[in-house]
Amino acid sequence: MNSRYGVRIWLGVLIAFAIVLPLVVTDRFATDIFIRILLFAFIGVAWNLMGGYAKQLSLGHAAYFGLGAYTSTILEIRYGISPWIGMIAGGGVAALASLPIGALCFRLRGPYFAIATIATAQVLMLLFLKFRDFAWGAEGTTIPNFGDAPLMMQFDEKSSYYYLALGLLALGLAITYRIEHSWMGYYLVAIGEDEDAAEAIGVNAPRVKRDIYMISAFLTALAGTFYVQYIYFIDPATAFSFNISVEAALVCIVGGIGTLWGPVVGTVLLETTSALLQSWLGSSAGGVQLTVYSLILIAVILWRPSGLLGVFEDAYRRIVRARPASTEEAVLDG
Amino acid sequence: MLETLAQAVINGLLIGGIYALVSIGVTLIFGVVKIVNFAQGEFVMIGMYITFFLANRFGIDPLVSLAVSIPVLFVIGMLVQHFLIRRVLGLGDMPQIFLTFALSLLLMNVALLLFTANYRTVHTAYSDESIHLGALYVPVAKLIAFALAMAFSGILWLFLHLTDLGKAMRAAAQNPDVAMLMGINPHRVFAVAFGAALALAGAAGSLLMPFYPASPMAGQVFVLMAFVAVVLGTLGNVTGALVASLMMGIAESLGIQFVGADSGLIVVFLMLLLTLAFRPSGLAGGRAR
Repeated sequence: MNSRYGVRIWLGVLIAFAIVLPLVVTDRFATDIFIRILLFAFIGVAWNLMGGYAKQLSLGHAAYFGLGAYTSTILEIRYGISPWIGMIAGGGVAALASLPIGALCFRLRGPYFAIATIATAQVLMLLFLKFRDFAWGAEGTTIPNFGDAPLMMQFDEKSSYYYLALGLLALGLAITYRIEHSWMGYYLVAIGEDEDAAEAIGVNAPRVKRDIYMISAFLTALAGTFYVQYIYFIDPATAFSFNISVEAALVCIVGGIGTLWGPVVGTVLLETTSALLQSWLGSSAGGVQLTVYSLILIAVILWRPSGLLGVFEDAYRRIVRARPASTEEAVLDG
Repeated sequence: MLETLAQAVINGLLIGGIYALVSIGVTLIFGVVKIVNFAQGEFVMIGMYITFFLANRFGIDPLVSLAVSIPVLFVIGMLVQHFLIRRVLGLGDMPQIFLTFALSLLLMNVALLLFTANYRTVHTAYSDESIHLGALYVPVAKLIAFALAMAFSGILWLFLHLTDLGKAMRAAAQNPDVAMLMGINPHRVFAVAFGAALALAGAAGSLLMPFYPASPMAGQVFVLMAFVAVVLGTLGNVTGALVASLMMGIAESLGIQFVGADSGLIVVFLMLLLTLAFRPSGLAGGRAR
């Protein structure tokens, strides 16, 4: 059994599991958690392209989440355009917005890049608070409910939202996989390791960073549209919430920054923890979730900065290696 | 019109003094330890709660509680440096950014659990007093805060330039390797720098209490202001951070006065983005990192 084959089997099992899950577990509360996991994993995947591979640590991805959410909502309510089209349009708006934002923020490196991205998301939120006539200001608006209208991205069944989110995540992972195995992927990693050295060997760093920022922004905006369609409500505080920016980065770091499956592992761990805390403590304990998140984050950074995915991989390898038949494979892997 | 303008400038300048205490801390840590402390605002918040509880339980005046908040935060700073920051030095941007960022989240949410989201205020005899200068008025509490903030900044400057430890700190900031060869223990210097920066944040917390409510999120505004001021004043430059903070206080106040009550932050963020566009190395020149 070679390892490629093994990976395919595991992937098949995982896909089958993801497809069957909502058919077996029909509880609305549980489905809601699954959808959150898929959505935040997808946002994490989008963040990871830029923050993980190229190590451009953005703390302002809510900017693109919000732009995606507002574009599709404005198109739907003002012009009656289906959110399916609005979703793509929102991605386009976000990708375009990433150009000037990137041009400014990429002038700074490291922590100050992160701060500049926080500022851009905050400016957008404050601007949308001001757009009262055009974008409903601070009160926000509810999304008109058409009942079961798949053409307007509205479904009676929660499982439909689940499959839509699953599709988004699959799209994000497929794009990541393609980029990982292309020249662009190598450029990104080189920039992440040492930007000056990458430029010295001929990587056009500004261009690569610009391109990956556009892709990342585009994908994040899709998540924004999905989210407002799912909760039927939009306001600047929700759409440009700093928590979105934070969670996007958090799931990647906890799971494994700059790895294909890191954001997924991170989201499953964090969202499951959060759901358990909520069912134990109720909604009364406001600060508990983020307290636990930050403790997990501190622990991961101090003891396993490459993320917890590696811990699982090591454990898996140890189990595989323990079986004599697989020794050869382990050697080939190493 | 002119009076409104002058009044806005006075208000901005006075609050700018507090911003300066926070910014100087951020820039000091960045200059010496080479990390950005995302949790700086939360230490202001801790200073505020210390002051609030001393006033509430024991009736101690916020200005007297400076004698508690400054040393307590100094010790917290040394401990944070020793047990947390030291472990991620030299590990690259990701662990450094997200360690202090996680610390910020942690402190904010622990404060939320312990003290709830309620605003806590301390009322002093001078909280509502103000000095009238013609048509202008200068609130006494803010004036005291500004004067003491400038005094603390001055003391820090003297410390950095006149004492051996201060000189060692500046040497370590300029070139840690050479400083080490000269017999300077970097970890001691880093711990003192972190302690001093947090002591300033603690002082800012105490000085704010007579006119500014404490809440778990109270530090956020100050740290955002500080980040912008630190970029504006050239990273790692203490005097630059001071001047930029005062400018930002004035810019925010003018924004509130002439654009709208909720526009102070927009003005400040736009200043950051414009600085990045036209003067990325900061107003004091030098290298942008």
